[in-house]
Amino acid sequence: MQSANEPALDPGEAGALGASAAGRRWTRLKFQLRFLLAVLRARPMFALGYFIVLTIIILGVFAPLIAPYPPETANPEDFLQLPSGRHLLGTDATGMDIFTRIIYAPRIDLTIAIAGTVISAVVGSLIGALVGYYQEMRGIRAFFAGFVMRAADVLQAFPVFVFAIALVAIFGQSLQSIIAAIAFVNTPIYLRLMRSQVLAIRNMRYVEASYVSGASDVAIMLRHIIPNSLGPILSQLSVNIGWSVLLTAALSFVGAGVVAPTPEWGSMIAVGFQSIITGQWWPSVFPGIALAVTVFGFALVGASVEVLADPSRRRALGGTLRQKPSGAA
Amino acid sequence: MRVLRYVGKRLIFIVPQLFGIILVSFFLVKLIPGDPAVLMLGPFATEEQLEKLRAGMGLQGTVLDQFWIYLTNLVQGDLGTSWQTTQPVLLDLFQRFPATLELITLALLLALVIGIPLGVAAAYFKRSIIKKFSDYYGLLAGALPDFWLGLVLIFFFYTMLDWVPAPLGRLDIALIPPPTVTNFLLIDSVIAGDWQALWSALGRLILPVVTLGVINAGPILKMTQSTMERMLESDFIRYAETCGLPRSVVIRRALRNSLPSIVTIISVLYGFLIGGAVLVEIVFSWGGAGQYAVQGVLNADINPVLGFVLFSAIFSLVIYLIVDLIYFAIDPRIRS
Repeated sequence: MQSANEPALDPGEAGALGASAAGRRWTRLKFQLRFLLAVLRARPMFALGYFIVLTIIILGVFAPLIAPYPPETANPEDFLQLPSGRHLLGTDATGMDIFTRIIYAPRIDLTIAIAGTVISAVVGSLIGALVGYYQEMRGIRAFFAGFVMRAADVLQAFPVFVFAIALVAIFGQSLQSIIAAIAFVNTPIYLRLMRSQVLAIRNMRYVEASYVSGASDVAIMLRHIIPNSLGPILSQLSVNIGWSVLLTAALSFVGAGVVAPTPEWGSMIAVGFQSIITGQWWPSVFPGIALAVTVFGFALVGASVEVLADPSRRRALGGTLRQKPSGAA
Repeated sequence: MRVLRYVGKRLIFIVPQLFGIILVSFFLVKLIPGDPAVLMLGPFATEEQLEKLRAGMGLQGTVLDQFWIYLTNLVQGDLGTSWQTTQPVLLDLFQRFPATLELITLALLLALVIGIPLGVAAAYFKRSIIKKFSDYYGLLAGALPDFWLGLVLIFFFYTMLDWVPAPLGRLDIALIPPPTVTNFLLIDSVIAGDWQALWSALGRLILPVVTLGVINAGPILKMTQSTMERMLESDFIRYAETCGLPRSVVIRRALRNSLPSIVTIISVLYGFLIGGAVLVEIVFSWGGAGQYAVQGVLNADINPVLGFVLFSAIFSLVIYLIVDLIYFAIDPRIRS
């Protein structure tokens, strides 16, 4: 798998560090980096996913440096300008620069989506692990496990979108309450996922061995069950972030999410809605493309995590790499 | 006989399930701030008038009292009144639910027509361009916001080309709607023999149906493809192939065995779309059930929200029941 465009790692550098711990770490890191690059070369779509996600994050973080105009200042003289050299993607009905607002939007969209999803993943997985671990035992804890699952059934019977809007309406329209709503509607997904993982893992030989040798429930869970069930959770997490970006935009689109002058893709699409009938397509179309590309990127990253976190599939991928280093899969 | 016993068992469980859903949604919706009495009468109403109105709406006493009033009314078939439309919720829902159902049923049919053949082809021709295309299609369909796609379609086919009517509801405003029988416009206009109304309704259905159909074909495609791939690698298909059966027979056998999981994903999508189509409904001013519920949430109008949740829960439960019956029909292993 050696080829001309190897990562620029100087073997001498690693050698100079000798057999020290740092040196070993360096060699391992180098191996991992090389593996990652090989995977990305074999599956260019994965590379595209990482590229999209990184680009969006960088654009959001450095938006104040990149953006040519202030994001929330209306300029009525320049309303509904076509895309041009002066306004790269045109302006909306109030004269705000669309390119500027699009690159400011990830700040709010990604913050909400990532915060909401991570909270739901942590809470949902913890509850799911407990439920899965105790479900097949007897007594009060098994009863509670059953109760939690029935509660999740009822919560999932609600239409997601109406449920999310209701939650935002209850907590009041703020950033925190949108995050809370997204965390709430996503939690049952992780609860179920983790539970099914734990149910499969807890009957494994090594878990039994650890139980027989006297490890406590907490120790078994932290040492064996949770680390071994993380793969699918992480993969779901990435896909779910993309999906939560969509939900955030949808909430803002109906006016139950982020409020108008704040740059956010969904509310930008809603603002442009009026102009589209009269033929000005750019205020709605560009934010929609940004939104779709972001979700697409996170879905690809999720797909790559799914492969990389599964040891057998990772090995299979590594195997094909050794046979045909430049092969496109 | 087994089937009947099974259905009976399921029907017994429906009542507690519905009760749980009503219980949770009632207290959830009660948490939404805003007093409908104040919203209805305006800021200059006297306290006396407000009290009287609250009593009339079943809004006096503690939350538990109110829940009891709601339940007793519900048993008598009274879902309360919406203060926005000033109509009984039941009546409103009978108008709006068929609008949504008409839309999502046609959209799902379109999604099936796209998703299943593409999924089968992608699973069978593994190294072909079709496989690549369906991989991308699956990813893209999951990433496109449906409300945005609706807008783009409106721009191309209404604003630019003027091929379809304006996205303003289910029927041309100038037309007199056919006499109401089912509230499904297509069916009603056929019953009335009103071809002009049928034509107008069809024209207005095209864009929203395409929007929802194209996007929801994604999950159906993915499910068909992955199940078919598994089936095509299984022993009985290998056996059929070594026996020299023609390709069409092999594919038909594999598809027949993939049907249960395809039916499952369709039922999940059907239940989801009742509320999930709301954004497309808003874009096309459809006046559907989801839109009605969203308006209710945003305006502290409780009864429509509860009515919608109840209706969609019943709908989902009925769909799941039908799906279980379909399993009985297509999977001989369950029958025996």
